[in-house]
Amino acid sequence: MKINNKKHRVLPGFGLSMGYTIIYLSLIVLIPVTILFLKASTMSLADFWETITNERVIASFKVTFLTSFIAALVNAVFGALIAWVLVRYDFFGKKVVDALVDLPFALPTAVAGIALTSIYAPNGWFGQYFELLGVKIAFTQWGIIVALTFIGFPFVVRSVQPVLQDMDFQYEEAARTLGANSIQTFLKIIFPAILPALLTGFALAFARALGEYGSVVFISGNMPMKTEIVPLLIITKLEQFDYAGAAAIASVMLLCSFFLLFAINYWQWRSAKKHQAG
Amino acid sequence: MSIVLKGLSKTFGQFPAVKKVELEIPTGDFVALLGPSGSGKTTLLRLIAGLEGPNSGEILFNGEDFTAKSVKERKVGFVFQHYALFKHMTIFDNIAFGLKVRPRKHRPSKEAINSKVEELLKLVQLEGLGERYPSQLSGGQRQRVALARALAVEPEVLLLDEPFGALDAKVRQELRGWLRELHQKLNITTVFVTHDQEEAMEMADTVVVMNNGRIEQTGSPENVYENPVTPFVYSFLGRVNEFRGNSLENYTPYGVDKPFSDKEVGYIRPHEIGLSRTFVNNSYPAEVSHVNKVGAAVRIELRRLDTDDLFEAELSAEKYNIMGGLKRGDQLFAEFQNLVIFNGNTLRNSEFELPPSNLVLRPEEVRS
Repeated sequence: MKINNKKHRVLPGFGLSMGYTIIYLSLIVLIPVTILFLKASTMSLADFWETITNERVIASFKVTFLTSFIAALVNAVFGALIAWVLVRYDFFGKKVVDALVDLPFALPTAVAGIALTSIYAPNGWFGQYFELLGVKIAFTQWGIIVALTFIGFPFVVRSVQPVLQDMDFQYEEAARTLGANSIQTFLKIIFPAILPALLTGFALAFARALGEYGSVVFISGNMPMKTEIVPLLIITKLEQFDYAGAAAIASVMLLCSFFLLFAINYWQWRSAKKHQAG
Repeated sequence: MSIVLKGLSKTFGQFPAVKKVELEIPTGDFVALLGPSGSGKTTLLRLIAGLEGPNSGEILFNGEDFTAKSVKERKVGFVFQHYALFKHMTIFDNIAFGLKVRPRKHRPSKEAINSKVEELLKLVQLEGLGERYPSQLSGGQRQRVALARALAVEPEVLLLDEPFGALDAKVRQELRGWLRELHQKLNITTVFVTHDQEEAMEMADTVVVMNNGRIEQTGSPENVYENPVTPFVYSFLGRVNEFRGNSLENYTPYGVDKPFSDKEVGYIRPHEIGLSRTFVNNSYPAEVSHVNKVGAAVRIELRRLDTDDLFEAELSAEKYNIMGGLKRGDQLFAEFQNLVIFNGNTLRNSEFELPPSNLVLRPEEVRS
């Protein structure tokens, strides 16, 4: 007699759906990435090493990772704040504000870059006042951070918002009856609950910022060693028909990003594990 | 701590949840707020805790006005219906939370917190489970953690919102007895909300029956069960038969033959109905439609032959055997001498010359 040990699944056809997943992932992600590494491997090891340890390349790596990290951090703080306001308060025009959050996704990044540059340039609307304070924004790393903050803005809001929405008031009330003040309630009860979502949003914003090109090239000024980002350097190499060099830089960029995102996701997974239904 | 509520009202939008509630709870009392869902009992509990602010009225703790005081200042222990345990903290940290968030000046030392938590874990019989997370515990265990957490801050009032609502019947039964014992041990003024009349009757010293945002009756479990003052309390507590219209026309136990309006409803509990095989004064013919013999009491469903009303009578197994057993279709005579008649919300019986309890023989006595 045949005993059916199979677990019942909601969607039938595990083989089919898994196969589809792998083919899809291969076509969209894995094969293009492999080509990239293949292209990079056409270089000799010495050439490869020389390309990626070039002073200008190292400097651009530093600029890209630093500005992306700061931008994602800024977005984590203010994104969480905006999510809080959108969930917890009712005000006139809330729906409009909610819709505005997604705008950075819809706008061509080059348009965003030009708009931000015109505002933050030394003679722009905001730029002139910062100029008085002796702070330059456009054409410095600050400018890059502003652009990257803009394009990564929706991620944190959209990942934290649903978690806050689902959060039961009970927990806050319980904390209050136990004598906690608002700061303690936020730090010990609310923050741990939204932390996994916050990390997800942070990772997405960070990843998005690492790859951003369109908006940054307008506002950064693209000065080698100072405000040149990795994607720009890759484009420059491509324009010089140095395909292998471009692939070499891109593959290193890709590996670094992968490990950073993996680390963040691992952290996110660990903090989410504690929050299983209870 | 004693609690006094004076003219307490709370409205949510247009909906009045609690209407001018007056209540006095002496120190150390164990009070059940009993009522159907939507009766305002949870809102009343939350008003006492300070989780909601009243629209009008006063809340006095030990005679002092606490109406405007914050939740924190009230020093109440609150146990939530769904426990509200902090999922990301261990059981130990959950219980210690109230002590750890105290300002540095009043915060006990780490050792003191440790021993306090251990002591509480022992009290709620969860020793050795301090390192677990709430998701690793059963419902009954979580409920006890929630209680230990509330007790950690040494509250002077313990408030519980449907404490056993989410538990299965067996665990609920266990926890009832256990909570009752705990109350005797700690003697903290305790107020709990429940929609389960059995739970209220079994545990509480004082039962407060609520309906539509108002208190219908306050008293000891025996008192509210034996002497309900409104039709609502009659129909909400215990099993009861209801008679209207025709059935009341024929009801003339005191020789007073007043016409009954359709607002008037008569109530009688199944065990107060007398049954006999022969006609006695003021008894009505009825036919047995079903007999249920499970347990110490025998429940008999009957149909009155004169008015076609269905009703239920209850006999002890002993009496049932003396009657010689009953089966479907048997014709009996039923007496309703303890019928309590309300006109709207007022007791109609009081219009008669004598209160019924002085006059009426218990049906059992009549029968034997």
